[in-house]
Amino acid sequence: MNGRMSGLAQGPWTIETLARNGEVLHRHRVAALPIRFGRAYDNDFIIDDDYAAPHHACVDLGPDGRLLLRDLDTRNGIVHKGKCVKELALDGDTVVRMGHTSLRIRGANHPIGPELRDRTMHGWEGVLPGGAGLVLSLLVALLVAWLTDTSNDLERYAQYPAAAAGIGLVWSGLWAFGNRLFGRRARLGRHLFIFGCALTALVALRLLASVLAYAWSLEWVSGYASHAAVATVAVAIYFHLATVTPQLRRRLRAICGALAVLSSILILAGNMQRHGRTADELYMPVLLPPELRASPDMPVADYINEVGAMKQEIDAERRGGN
Amino acid sequence: MKRAVLAFLLTCTAIGAAFEAMAPPAAAQTPAQNLAQPAARATQHTAGSGAAAGAPQLSLDVAPAATPTAPLPGESVPQDALPEPSSGAQDLYESARGDLLQIRMLLKNGRTQSTVGSGFLVGTSNLALTNYHVVSQMALDPGIYTAEYIDTDGNTGPVELMAVDVLHDLAVVRINRNGSGFFKVPEQPVKLRQGQRLYSLGNPLDLGFAISEGAYNGVLTRSFYDRLIFSGPINSGMSGGPSVTASGTVAGINVARRTDGESVSFLVPVKHAQELLRMVAGQPAPPADFNPQIGKQLLAHQAGMVDKLLEEPLTLKGMGQYLVPVRESGEVRCWGRSNARGAAYSVDSMSCVMQSALFVSDTQQTGNVAMTHQYIRSGTMEPLRFATLASDSFQVDNLGSTGDARLTKPFCTERFVHTRSLPMRAVTCVRAYRKFEGLYNFTLLTASTDASQSSLQSRLDVSGVSYENGMRVTRAYLGAFGRSGRR
Repeated sequence: MNGRMSGLAQGPWTIETLARNGEVLHRHRVAALPIRFGRAYDNDFIIDDDYAAPHHACVDLGPDGRLLLRDLDTRNGIVHKGKCVKELALDGDTVVRMGHTSLRIRGANHPIGPELRDRTMHGWEGVLPGGAGLVLSLLVALLVAWLTDTSNDLERYAQYPAAAAGIGLVWSGLWAFGNRLFGRRARLGRHLFIFGCALTALVALRLLASVLAYAWSLEWVSGYASHAAVATVAVAIYFHLATVTPQLRRRLRAICGALAVLSSILILAGNMQRHGRTADELYMPVLLPPELRASPDMPVADYINEVGAMKQEIDAERRGGN
Repeated sequence: MKRAVLAFLLTCTAIGAAFEAMAPPAAAQTPAQNLAQPAARATQHTAGSGAAAGAPQLSLDVAPAATPTAPLPGESVPQDALPEPSSGAQDLYESARGDLLQIRMLLKNGRTQSTVGSGFLVGTSNLALTNYHVVSQMALDPGIYTAEYIDTDGNTGPVELMAVDVLHDLAVVRINRNGSGFFKVPEQPVKLRQGQRLYSLGNPLDLGFAISEGAYNGVLTRSFYDRLIFSGPINSGMSGGPSVTASGTVAGINVARRTDGESVSFLVPVKHAQELLRMVAGQPAPPADFNPQIGKQLLAHQAGMVDKLLEEPLTLKGMGQYLVPVRESGEVRCWGRSNARGAAYSVDSMSCVMQSALFVSDTQQTGNVAMTHQYIRSGTMEPLRFATLASDSFQVDNLGSTGDARLTKPFCTERFVHTRSLPMRAVTCVRAYRKFEGLYNFTLLTASTDASQSSLQSRLDVSGVSYENGMRVTRAYLGAFGRSGRR
């Protein structure tokens, strides 16, 4: 920690009042030492806290040239890392608590990080992405309505898009609320766009899995398609979170990845418990037009041989299950 | 601020619309379930509630019913001056009541009754005859169930199970007293004439002992095993009671009735009881475990059933451009139906069931064959839309799961296969019986994969067969599919 303090700290001094999560609530500049802290109006820095003493603490240069914080014989004292201290040497990252107030003191030469590259597309905000997301959701809903239409019922072509738009607005609205809360701006348009893309990806992946499984007899692709859906949802949530707090991308990636893995494991375990298999379905029910078949069919005799080969497995299960 | 209010209002409207959108699909699904309803239903067990889980959808099972009817007196003698029927029944009941029993299955814990049926003492022995389905709980779970008898005087005593015959639904039990000799089980088969009066005795609905009269009406030919048709009222609880001629000669044992008919009841011919009694005669002590005995009988049943099913090649019938295998004979009954749903597509279906189901327990029937064909076609739906419909219809959820005490979980083999002239998707799922070694349930699901606007989807259920026989039926059935070339 001291390594960062190249040379000794210099004034003027900035006192930062911190929230519990480390965010700065308030900054106050003091030109010279010593700095007196307390509730009384004759202090250099007034602590607006009923649990602080009128004259609570004082900062001055210590014998080694560093800042030294001293407690002025108060009832609640100074707390550093959970311990009550009488005297404490400070550097720019030392956080102390007086009463309910946490603060730190930084010199004018305190080192700060470099400027971040701005990757945000400032043109892609508001109505443009919001409209695109909504249109995507409506189109996907129309596609699903058309695919599952068996009765030539026109009402569904209104109901499905309405449902998609409703769910999309609620979902994005909640994210926008969070965004406003933690990121100062709502960015509803961006969240709507993310929702639209995620919905499109979900439906596209489901269709792709069906086609792959059917065309090349890859039944497992259809049987484990729910994990692709889990991954899609995790990616969507990552983008939502990254929109809210762009600084923490790496951590968010790890969190979303872990959540996706956990969900997949839960799905596998749930299938195992309910059906005794890890796949989502007992067999692939997908039937597609014959033009989409790419791999050769099997003669009935070979198929019957495969059925015969199952006997051992079943008998083992019967004996084991008793 | 204005924008936020606008977004909120828009959201509310959209949610409202979304909820409305959810409701109609749910309502639309109800008619689809009707499709799977049995074309005819006709079974009731006499002993307790006989809801048969796991029975194929289209069964017309004649399940064992409990109450046979009683023939009129004087039926076995040449038609001369008959006594007044009611007084004949009176006399008969008076002489028979000493040997008539009610048999109750009791839970060992708490000794509360779970099912009740009837039975009767054979001759002067301490052996009584009843139905297998009356004592099935005791046979399958001797650790949980026990039994007692009550006679017409209210005396009770313990019951020992000596032998069971699952195929004919008979059981022999031993009690702690001897019969008076009224009920004669003849060594020779009894000759009956159609219309002859029979008297059926038992304890209907646990209300008290009763005698009812009716007429013998020949042998049921559609059943896999012989059953006598008895035209008389029968009620639950009379299962296992005797149906006798006026002289007390037992003609049959009450077993079942049709719930969709009036006084159409069934008896087990007495010759099967004779065979079972002969077997018990050479056996000093009751067996400790009936599962091997029942398993052996079920194996014998399935061997006969599959041989009969495959004794000649399956008949091919045309459904659209497809040829589908069915079996039409005395034991197999088929029904067809057509559902034109809206204008978008239509469904024709055909179901066949072999009348060979056996009662094993309240929750398990076995030994039957059911086949269903569904021909879905549409002239107006685009291939992808039709594919969604066909996939939906090909999804069957009731093939079983883990946690079933009777059967293992299903194991499936799924492949794209081609028969002589038809490419198909075939899924075979097999489950093994836990209690009976060597018995399996086979389910074969097939769907044609040759056309984009028509789909032939079939299902074959063969329950309670050996693995070899299951494969035999699957092979014969699957190999028979074809295309007729006709559109």
